[in-house]
Amino acid sequence: MNKSLDPRINRLNIDKYPADLTRKVPLDQFGTYEVFTQSKTEQPYQHEGIVHAPSKEMAFIFAKEQFSRRMTCSGLFVVETKNIFVTATTENNINVYHTVSEKFDTTGHLEQYEFFHLLKRGKQHLHVGSIEARNAQEALALAKPAFSEEDPVLNAWIIKTKDILFSSEEDTIIWNTLPDKKFRNASAYKASDKIKAFKESQKSTL
Amino acid sequence: MNTDAIKELLYKIADDQLIIGHRNSEWTGMGPILEEDIAFSSMAQDKIGQSYALYQLLHDLGEDEPDQVAFMRKANQFKNSQLTELPNGEYDYSLLRHFLFDTAESIRFEFLAQSAYSPLALLAKKIQGELRYHTMHANTWIKQLGNANQESILRLQASLDQLFPFALGIFEPSPFENVLIEEKIFVGEKVIMQKWQEQIAKILNATELLIPSFSEPAIYGGRFGHHTEHLTLLLEEMSEVFRIDPTAEW
Amino acid sequence: MYGGGNTFDPITDTKQATEDPQKLQEFEARIERGEKIEPSDWMPDLYRKQLIRMIEQHAHSEIIGALPEGTWITRAPGFKRKLALMAKVQDEVGHAQLLYAAAETLGKSREQMIDDLLEGKSKYSNIFNYPAFTWADACFISWLVDAGAIVNQLANSKGSYGPYCRALERICVEESFHLKYGHHCVIHLATGTDIQRKMMQEALNRWWEPMMHFFGPPDKVSVHTEVLMKWKVKMSSNDQCRNQFLDMYVPKILELGLTIPDPLLRKNPETEQWEYTEPDWEVFKKVINGDGPCNEERLAVRRVAEARGKWVRQALLKPKTEYVTPLA
Repeated sequence: MNKSLDPRINRLNIDKYPADLTRKVPLDQFGTYEVFTQSKTEQPYQHEGIVHAPSKEMAFIFAKEQFSRRMTCSGLFVVETKNIFVTATTENNINVYHTVSEKFDTTGHLEQYEFFHLLKRGKQHLHVGSIEARNAQEALALAKPAFSEEDPVLNAWIIKTKDILFSSEEDTIIWNTLPDKKFRNASAYKASDKIKAFKESQKSTL
Repeated sequence: MNTDAIKELLYKIADDQLIIGHRNSEWTGMGPILEEDIAFSSMAQDKIGQSYALYQLLHDLGEDEPDQVAFMRKANQFKNSQLTELPNGEYDYSLLRHFLFDTAESIRFEFLAQSAYSPLALLAKKIQGELRYHTMHANTWIKQLGNANQESILRLQASLDQLFPFALGIFEPSPFENVLIEEKIFVGEKVIMQKWQEQIAKILNATELLIPSFSEPAIYGGRFGHHTEHLTLLLEEMSEVFRIDPTAEW
Repeated sequence: MYGGGNTFDPITDTKQATEDPQKLQEFEARIERGEKIEPSDWMPDLYRKQLIRMIEQHAHSEIIGALPEGTWITRAPGFKRKLALMAKVQDEVGHAQLLYAAAETLGKSREQMIDDLLEGKSKYSNIFNYPAFTWADACFISWLVDAGAIVNQLANSKGSYGPYCRALERICVEESFHLKYGHHCVIHLATGTDIQRKMMQEALNRWWEPMMHFFGPPDKVSVHTEVLMKWKVKMSSNDQCRNQFLDMYVPKILELGLTIPDPLLRKNPETEQWEYTEPDWEVFKKVINGDGPCNEERLAVRRVAEARGKWVRQALLKPKTEYVTPLA
């Protein structure tokens, strides 16, 4: 290949790498973890998106920079996508809890489950609370009275608390300097004075 | 307080942060996994930001503006350890350097948080969280790859062996070592190195990797302005645009 | 960042005819009401296919888009620029990650998408096949290419697919930093020393045609996309986006005393539309089909990055991991 304009690329010695590409085997990739962040301590946790990672710990490390490198953050957690129980998404603004059966399986032992609700299509799931139950179906049925009369919930996610990796209290200092990263925000780049001064100088030279 | 000693201390730390931050930024857009690309870039930004804050402290002590200091000095005026200037190599090499360097750096700043020179103590307290994340990142990666498969273990071991004497060079004593210790500005390189040995041993012992001997000869020189040819090239590249007109606003 | 001119599959009626008419009607009614489609909802095959293609191209454009500006990442002049450019290029990688994730919710895995990019089966925005010769080229990209991308992305963020909209909202917030940063850089060069000014003007001259190409071919020759408009997959036409860009940025360029290398460029006061020299669409086609100044390098770099990272991914892969489609 010709010399690149990018010195980093010239250091890569691209020609050393074979040009043929072996197609990746299907699923030559990590599982995905869903990421939730809390912008301030009084705010609910909100779903942000996913990271691909080989373990919870790595998912946490990745999520921190992909989803909380701006603004403020007071907590973050990750959970493997496959560990989330998902209800159907309802039609016509029907509350999903109205469709939940009163009957449920009673197998399993008591564990804590976290609840997340979607209140509007296109928005994020928000954390609303937790409940103890023997399985996800029971948790959903137990939650029914609490949420049936509220704003319609279009979709609910239920996650066993123990499947989640939370940021620890002592680690929250990792977000301490976020407010100082002004260079990542539009507000740090004001230059209207410079334009004004330039226009003035143009006028005076005419 | 002995200003010359403080300046010398600030320069070596600032230069370390700038040069390793610059090196790590070369990975941006070329990392092994998208998510890691982002994480590694953030840490590089943290390092450059920390170096800027340290050059600002130097400016307060009468040195030139941070931009001039960073972009206009010659290689022999830089006090960074040689470890930080080595070219990136493959990801194992960059990752291992990050681990060895950041472990030392976080211990250094832990002690600096108690420094009698209060501007530095304040800065050290402030960036504690950034360093926490950097070591969390490094430790997680080393533990994962150091236990993964034969290739990753062999690669990490080879990089560890190559980098180790350079890493020992981080702790090259400064000419002001005693003054700094006496005036309680800085605890001294020996103490830092001692703790560093304990901490890297703790992480490496949880992997398949073998720790090279701590008594092997260290590669010194950086703290006195002696560098590999890589630093000259790095600085030429870094300041290529800035030097077109160092007095211009870019 | 991203441009128009994305390639859609030619649409034939047969594809739609096979869909369940009842479900199709409900789906269209939902979009008509302004509600978003979520991944678990029923959707026509064509909708899914075209969205995957569009979001995937967008994601590729971000990851490849990190390279032209990345050319100057080790040479940014001064701390302020150095930090900002690092953060900006990082954002582009971050955007790729977000967009791949949005496309994944439609059922195509990220690795498949990356493979398709590397094999040349999948396109990305044409503009990134041009070289950034000087620092000023990087400044042009940060300001005006991102400005063009924002025009596009703001339109698309009003689209119908929930996960794509969520990703775009986040992306648009970050792009506002890119835009301001890029403008800041250009202002400093344009109002700076003679050398800086000259550098900026030359970069502008080089990038103007690719910038006009950026929004894609004129509407009169574009593939018909009515059904995609109805389904809110494609949100505005190429010419609308181009016109909006010129409206917003021509005055900002001119106020800096820079000249635009098109003597015919003017806004027709009656039609409110911009008139300009038609850029050479044969060149556009040539570049999009692989024969631009940097196509080879861009893909080679991605390929090498993948090859160098392979051992890392292999080492961390857990044989028992099941990949499931991300939820939202």
